[in-house]
Amino acid sequence: MKSRLAQFSALLAPCHAIALQAKAGRRLSSLFALLAVAPLFAAPAAPATAPAPALPPAPKGDYVESFDTQYNNITVQREGTRVELRARSRRGEFYESVVDVADPTKLILEYSRTVYAAAYFQPEPKRALIIGLGGAGVHRLFATAYPDALLQTVELDPMILALCQSRLEFKPTAKTPVTIMDGRMFVKRDTTKYDWILLDAFRGSYVPAHLKTEEFLRECAARLGDQGVFINNLHEGTELFYADIKTMQKVFPQVVLLNPPGSGNVMAFGVNYKTPVITDPAKWPDPAVVGKRLFASVDLAEVKKELMPIPTKEVAAAEVITDDFNPAELLNVIKTNNEAKGR
Amino acid sequence: MKPLPLLPVFSNASLPFPVALLLFYPLVVVLGMLSMGFQMLASRLLSPHYGSTIVEWVWLISTFLAAFSVGSVLGGWISSLPTARRGWSQIAIAAVGIASLAVTACYSKGMLDWIELRFIPDVAQMNDQGSADMNTAVFLSCMALFFVPVTALSSFGPQCVGWLAARGTPPGKASGVVYGVSTVGNIAGVMLTVFKLIPNFRVSHLLYGWLGVAAVSLTALICLMRCPAKTKML
Repeated sequence: MKSRLAQFSALLAPCHAIALQAKAGRRLSSLFALLAVAPLFAAPAAPATAPAPALPPAPKGDYVESFDTQYNNITVQREGTRVELRARSRRGEFYESVVDVADPTKLILEYSRTVYAAAYFQPEPKRALIIGLGGAGVHRLFATAYPDALLQTVELDPMILALCQSRLEFKPTAKTPVTIMDGRMFVKRDTTKYDWILLDAFRGSYVPAHLKTEEFLRECAARLGDQGVFINNLHEGTELFYADIKTMQKVFPQVVLLNPPGSGNVMAFGVNYKTPVITDPAKWPDPAVVGKRLFASVDLAEVKKELMPIPTKEVAAAEVITDDFNPAELLNVIKTNNEAKGR
Repeated sequence: MKPLPLLPVFSNASLPFPVALLLFYPLVVVLGMLSMGFQMLASRLLSPHYGSTIVEWVWLISTFLAAFSVGSVLGGWISSLPTARRGWSQIAIAAVGIASLAVTACYSKGMLDWIELRFIPDVAQMNDQGSADMNTAVFLSCMALFFVPVTALSSFGPQCVGWLAARGTPPGKASGVVYGVSTVGNIAGVMLTVFKLIPNFRVSHLLYGWLGVAAVSLTALICLMRCPAKTKML
């Protein structure tokens, strides 16, 4: 395709030169002046995908570093074996991931434990997709607990991958590949059927609006295997939360919410089938069986207690987010009544 | 070429210059609103296809700036034509702008689907040689959907300057006033689109709104600019 742009440029360049020399009057000069700006379009642009950029080695001992990337303002802080990856956003910094580099099975952030409730609905994932790498907090346990499974990750920001590799000691392998591209573009083109799909593509405090729509969730649903589960990391406290749930309900016949205490996150699980029923926790399988691979990192019986009812009244009043009607950014700054009263 | 007949309502007798100005400036504001508000709608059209990458914004902003540039040159050329040819040229460029907006309003999704999958058919295409294909796809999408209507809209800027200057306003002052007022329209267009229109209306419906407002405002502006240049600036 580069050659097509080059051809376009080559076609217009002589026109420009001729225009400069033209003595046929202002009319011709004006016409060619119009064409003269066209080669601007043929200028090479930044690549859409790029390999992870090289970073200097991590400092020795404890440290705090800041990085301005193409899409994020990132802080990396290490204390002992604990490494935090935080993104600056509206109202301060938000955790992308917190990991213990000495123990890959240790999950520190509450929501990352709740992700593994997916084992209730699909206990033997063979293929998983995570949209949003963050600090690869979820990845380490998955790769250890399900060593034969494929864990595909898609991440937009190449610097996030570089930081994971150099600061958080996450090394992608053939079983844990990372693709640098927009998550929606990946899902639309990838033909793999996944058992788990986790949407965790936060930029600080928000997920890009085009990853919130009914059409995108349908694309994800189409990539799920028969017993596959879609996991959506939501933030409660704004009107967007209700719109997110309503949009998920439009796509998935069954939706379950788990609310890790004190995290501000709500993990929404959606499946493509109506039976067996997953909305009744009494019918969930034995956590000791489905969680046997998860070491001591996740107590699925405790996670089960995080089940929260769907806020039916608020969801009924919310609108489904679509590609055509997408006020996600605006909804994300409108606090819910409870949140506003608490401030 | 036969001169265009003047509409009686815009003859000097029935439309004093101050009244004409009261119509003129709001129309300049509306054209400014249409141009930059359209850029916000354009980003909404593109993001389901190309994500929210900086590559998308590079091409989107460049396309609009190029359209402003080409439109300014084109408008300057039209404003220097003899009266009869100028009238027909104004109608022609307005018709092209409205027709291209109609194409964007009616066929944008189909066109974007086709361009996206034609140039970036699979994941491997993105990983191995994706940058050029991504750039080409976004570039062609922007050109096909946004370049022509924005060029047509922005071509009326210099014509508005010419209209004011022909009525006694010093050219420099006319230029400053028109572009100042138009930029106010740009700001209003962005704010209105982002904070009021996108949260409350479907983008597809808004595009039809853009089409209707462009048709009405360009028609009114052309009629206004057909006023004979007899009145002096007050």
